[in-house]
Amino acid sequence: MACLAGSPVGAGIGTDDRVEVLGNWYRMILELVRHTPTQTPPVASRAFAYTAIIAYEATASGSEKLQSLAGQVAGLDALPARDPALVYDEDAVLNTAMARAVDVYFANTGPTGQRAKAALTASLTARVSGGVDPEIIARSEAYGLAIAEHVIAASASDGGAVVENMGFPMTFALGGEPEDWVPTNLIQLQQAPLLPAWGKNRPMALPDGEACALAPPPAYSEEPGSEFFIEAMEVYETSKSLTDEQKLIARFWSDDPMLSPTPPGHWVAILFQIAKRDDRPVEAQVDALVRLGIAVSDGFIVNWRDKYRYDLLRPITYLRKVIDPKWEPLLNTPPFPEYPSGHSTQSGAVAQVLTDVFGEGFAFTDSTHVDDGLPARDFPDFWAAANEAGISRLYGGIHFRAAIDRGLEQGACVGDFVNGLQTWK
Amino acid sequence: MEMIPLRVVSVLLTTLTASTALAQDPAIPAFVEETEAAGFSHSFTGEWEFMVGGGAAVFDCSGDGLPEVFAAGGTAPARLFGNDSEPGGTLRLTPVDSGLEMDSVSGAYPMDVDGDGIIDLAVMRVGSDRLMRGLGDCRFEDASAEWGFDGLDLWSTAFAATWEKGADWPTLAVGTYIDRTEEAFPWGNCTANHLYRPDGKGFAAPLALEPGFCALSILFTDWDRQGTPDLRVSNDREYYKGGQEQMWRIEPGQPPVAFTEADGWQRLRIWGMGIAQEDINFDGFPEFYLTSMADNKLQTLAEVPADGPPVPRYRDIALKSGVTAHRPYIGDDLRPSTAWHAQFADVNNDGLSDIFVVKGNVWAMPDFAMADPNNLLLQRPDGTFMEAGDKAGVASTRQGRGGALADLNADGWLDMVVINRNEQAQVWRNMGEGSGHWVQIALSMPGANRHAIGAWVEVKLADGRVQSREVTLGGGHVGGVLGWQHFGLGEAEATEVRVRWPNADAGPWQKITADGFWVIAPGVDPQRW
Repeated sequence: MACLAGSPVGAGIGTDDRVEVLGNWYRMILELVRHTPTQTPPVASRAFAYTAIIAYEATASGSEKLQSLAGQVAGLDALPARDPALVYDEDAVLNTAMARAVDVYFANTGPTGQRAKAALTASLTARVSGGVDPEIIARSEAYGLAIAEHVIAASASDGGAVVENMGFPMTFALGGEPEDWVPTNLIQLQQAPLLPAWGKNRPMALPDGEACALAPPPAYSEEPGSEFFIEAMEVYETSKSLTDEQKLIARFWSDDPMLSPTPPGHWVAILFQIAKRDDRPVEAQVDALVRLGIAVSDGFIVNWRDKYRYDLLRPITYLRKVIDPKWEPLLNTPPFPEYPSGHSTQSGAVAQVLTDVFGEGFAFTDSTHVDDGLPARDFPDFWAAANEAGISRLYGGIHFRAAIDRGLEQGACVGDFVNGLQTWK
Repeated sequence: MEMIPLRVVSVLLTTLTASTALAQDPAIPAFVEETEAAGFSHSFTGEWEFMVGGGAAVFDCSGDGLPEVFAAGGTAPARLFGNDSEPGGTLRLTPVDSGLEMDSVSGAYPMDVDGDGIIDLAVMRVGSDRLMRGLGDCRFEDASAEWGFDGLDLWSTAFAATWEKGADWPTLAVGTYIDRTEEAFPWGNCTANHLYRPDGKGFAAPLALEPGFCALSILFTDWDRQGTPDLRVSNDREYYKGGQEQMWRIEPGQPPVAFTEADGWQRLRIWGMGIAQEDINFDGFPEFYLTSMADNKLQTLAEVPADGPPVPRYRDIALKSGVTAHRPYIGDDLRPSTAWHAQFADVNNDGLSDIFVVKGNVWAMPDFAMADPNNLLLQRPDGTFMEAGDKAGVASTRQGRGGALADLNADGWLDMVVINRNEQAQVWRNMGEGSGHWVQIALSMPGANRHAIGAWVEVKLADGRVQSREVTLGGGHVGGVLGWQHFGLGEAEATEVRVRWPNADAGPWQKITADGFWVIAPGVDPQRW
């Protein structure tokens, strides 16, 4: 991530270097999301949520400003308490908690990721420990570890802890109706859709698994003039007249797994860019991070629930059958049902949350993909970015209009629940 | 639409699986592992810097026509194994003191760099690459400095060579991987690949091919049959940012130019690990097999125009051809596969090229199979393939990397070498229990390019179709074969062969009988060896 330091920097005696510790670990997390095959967008959203909860609780436990999310986040009981009579090194607490979080939620990363994690752990641990009483460091590390282990244990029962075969079932029963999803590419692994049971996972901030449910998409029809046909034609005709700006927007928000930090990671990257620009203190950073993490995680759960509830085919399937057998979308079509748009739901959720955190009209520059050759983009506020993320899927030819509009609405609904979490005392 | 998820028709998603038995299934060759009996004791060892590599170079340095095997060793010394096999008999590979016993070797490719008629070896290393001059009798010395070859200090993982039009010295390309000094954040730190062009009887300073996207296989290929090979590069998407598969236009006397979308080049981003090419649909243009993790790719030109050259736009036909080889086909470990070396060759002598793929987990990577058998995909007459690795006896689940198919005992049946990481390498003897005939052809050309790299060999099959093959030097996974070009002939007891020599017109169709070794040179009749 371009916004963070090129190499770990850290503590001196008595200094508060949690911003550096946090920034370096999230730089690592964003790389591991990109480079760990299990980390498809839903899986990554869950990892972002739990790593953020760990970062938040490690920080909040030593803060006079923040309160614990225990009892607010589903499945999260009261966390281990500090001994008020003893001194803790906040850098060591946070660093140890994050190191453990990354070990667990990115356990599947390959040898390079494992080597990188170990290198960063060693580097940061040496730095935060330097010149500090070893007894304090040991106590602080033990406490940070206890925080992490508590959250990790809570997460084990949410339904998303085990992902096999990179999330693609070995066998799968297709719906068989004309409107149902069918595979859209020639990759054998993806002849079954991604994570069909993800929508059954336990949400964190939503009241239940039916929260933010969407109405069905427009009724399927191949009749010219039907609502469905008109939506399909919009995708088709847009694809035939894409401007350079529209192509750039489609690619900017494409956020492909294994080639980017994924859609939720894109928003995490934005958050760190803002934090660096505005020199935000660590409490403010973990507050925004945990809200964002829970928003994308819950967003993907309800989105996936509705994707498999409605099991709608992708534009490429419909357009090739009904309108143009040779039609090609700009983007690769993701291997799962169409309605609603996952990027739209999670972006809407983030926009709702970050608007609550930062306020209306908060402008920022998004430089997430500069390293990939895509120039930074400026946005007047979070909803402008979310709306652009949504429409990018139409430009890319992978979603119909309804999936985008209602996905954004679904995201706002999720965001409202997340905004109900009490973080500041 | 009902609001009941995913109902009604149960469709088992095993379309075109490799194990599907069809009436036209090809004969399955019988391989017998002879690793121990052959004395083939070797392992490619190491940790992070040797998670890739492990190539094998197969070539004859003793002059007896039987190919030797050079195996990369990683942290262990590389090793040359002399081939003492009895013709048609048990394989015997004996370590020889060759001067090649260097460490940090990731792979190697045999070639006659200086055109003296003795095969040299381009040795790729984690560190400075070496050009080892053949001295005869399987002895080598480092000629890098004498030839002006700056091996650089990079993580070299790929190699290819060609003789550009008018040159009397080869052009080399070296593919490199990650900047290994970047420990905590290696991603986005791919180093440049390099092109070494001739400068007299040696090489000019390396020319950086930038950007580099962590190449694990490169190949000079005359993909469009225009007579000037371009450089195809397969890259590991794990490490690049903003990268993709690449192809460089290499015109004599001109700086390399990357193909772009304007040229028809399509963006493809895979865990590229190996390139193999062969014309398997008999249209005169090569198909490409690209190894990766999970699904592998089989590319064929999207369009072959009636007139003029094609554009480099390819269709992936791996799924319909049954060669995705995306997960193990034996055992209980059904996680996705990890594929490395690939090679086309006809292992059952039925006249159709088959595909050999070496598999192995990168290194305790839990999303991918640990027990990942190598593939032997036999081509059916209809162009689809069936998996036969287990039935043929070559379904090793060791941590494979490099490999080669070559006739080690001169019986006309291709044997198999596999280099494993941190495990014993293996060799299998093809027992030749089939009825197919074969020919093996060595090209001999006057001048610098003695092995006629860049030539096209065309062999008529019994049904009248013509198998066309470009003689290349590169590709695979950090290793390759130089020597006899093997063609299965099926029931044909004789055939005709024609050579399109590099930068020259096609020679005449020449008759040769089956089940023999032939040396073909321009302007003379084929000579039985």
